Amino acid sequence: MRHTLAIANRVVKQLLRNPRFLVLSVAAPLVIVYLLKIFFDTMPMGFDVARYAVPVAAFLVHFLAFILCAISLVQERTAGTMERMFINGFRRVEIISGYVLGFLGLATFQAVAALAEAIWLFDLDYDGETLATLFVVVWLLAIASVMLGIFVSTFARRESQVFPFIPLIILPSVFLSGLLVDVDELPKWADWLGHAFPLFWANDVIQAVIESGWEFGDVWSSFSVLAGYAVALLLLASLTLREAE
Amino acid sequence: MDAIEVAGLVKRYGKLEALGGVDLRVPEGAVFGLVGPNGAGKTTLIKALVGSLRPTEGGVSVLGLDPLRDRAGLRRRIGYMPQSPALYEDLSARDNVTFFGAAHHIPDLRKRVAEVLEFTDLADRAKDSIHTFSGGMRRRVSLACALVHRPRMLFLDEPTAAVDPQLRSRFWAKFRELAGDGVTLFISTHLMDEAVLCDRISILRQGRVIASDSPRGILERGKTRLVIGRDGGEKESFIGGHPEDLAAALRPYGLSRGVTAVDVEADSLESVVLSIIGEEDR
Repeated sequence: MRHTLAIANRVVKQLLRNPRFLVLSVAAPLVIVYLLKIFFDTMPMGFDVARYAVPVAAFLVHFLAFILCAISLVQERTAGTMERMFINGFRRVEIISGYVLGFLGLATFQAVAALAEAIWLFDLDYDGETLATLFVVVWLLAIASVMLGIFVSTFARRESQVFPFIPLIILPSVFLSGLLVDVDELPKWADWLGHAFPLFWANDVIQAVIESGWEFGDVWSSFSVLAGYAVALLLLASLTLREAE
Repeated sequence: MDAIEVAGLVKRYGKLEALGGVDLRVPEGAVFGLVGPNGAGKTTLIKALVGSLRPTEGGVSVLGLDPLRDRAGLRRRIGYMPQSPALYEDLSARDNVTFFGAAHHIPDLRKRVAEVLEFTDLADRAKDSIHTFSGGMRRRVSLACALVHRPRMLFLDEPTAAVDPQLRSRFWAKFRELAGDGVTLFISTHLMDEAVLCDRISILRQGRVIASDSPRGILERGKTRLVIGRDGGEKESFIGGHPEDLAAALRPYGLSRGVTAVDVEADSLESVVLSIIGEEDR
């Protein structure tokens, strides 16, 4: 635990001392949600803004948490600090847990800020229980995204090798996870493929709770899959992160 | 007792053989130099010794431990300074040393970090971020990170490459100080003026050790050019590198009044090493 906390503390210190990184991770989602508002303002009357506003905010958190975490870990590899951590006695599970803990603060802030801005800008009127559920699902998605970033980083030796994973993982999830169109309208195979992305399960919860009259029983299974997704990625990442070449 | 024992170490990456059967012994408390040109396999060998590389064949023992099977035990006892500084650019020198020190059980970490920063002449820049440091200062921080847990054995991968002569000499003063405290140093280098400072060196060429001896022993394998000026003339001859060879070559002259000049020009370590490598190439 001491090692995990040391890594988390170091990750947070690095985030705080890197203004460009902070601006990208905090200001970027806020600016994009605002641009989304300008874009949706051009839509004809009767356009269901709520159907898109929160899922798009969730997607932004998902994308940024994934990419920032993956790049940070690849930087550890290229700089040689990953090898140095292992040689100094930090273990795989401690490095991964330290990263999750370190990025948790950032992911929480991104989830709260993006969601709050979307609700405020789009004048969405949700009760306390719905707001709490929306926050928890976006937060859980952010954690799964951090895990996904850690997992993907194990396949990249350089920062540039992270980018091919964007068209491979992130872009298909935009089209196949129900963000833009209902998955029921997709061909069967595409619908099934969509189930492979964490955004699918987060969007499933979001679409259910923004409808009035929802109950927790409607969303718990998607919640569980999202949590399971995070745990499975954590296990996969701890298997693929190699201590010795 | 030997601090390092390597027997038949092979490392292959697909068809590429980085190490082709290395045999090596390093006595405890020695300053050992692994000498070889770029691409000889020096870094690969060090990585196998510190446990960050899985050998394809062969056995490695460091301080009596297997680097892969006894990871935890070994990592408490060794320090590693990689070829690149391997530091967190946004953090200060103190934060970097403290972070790597946190991996070990150090009773008063804060005090120990201050000590190693003092030892590496970084106390006055401890709070500054690494990205403001020169290359030489980064190497000193990297050395401090490797020393923070008082290792019994230190692996230094080209520690003074691209470092100016003044700083290199300060580094070597520190290395000798550490050796005086009983630390075994394993230093890889391609700089011969550095190799000559080691107690013992091994020459690595294309993943194989082709010679192991003290620097003096390696030098004695070279030739000495002897020019005797006598009675207005000069006589040039080439003799072996042993002191006995010089005595034997001078004996016939008896150093009479007629011997007006004796010029002895011994091979440098670099030329001896190059000729040993050249012989292997033939």
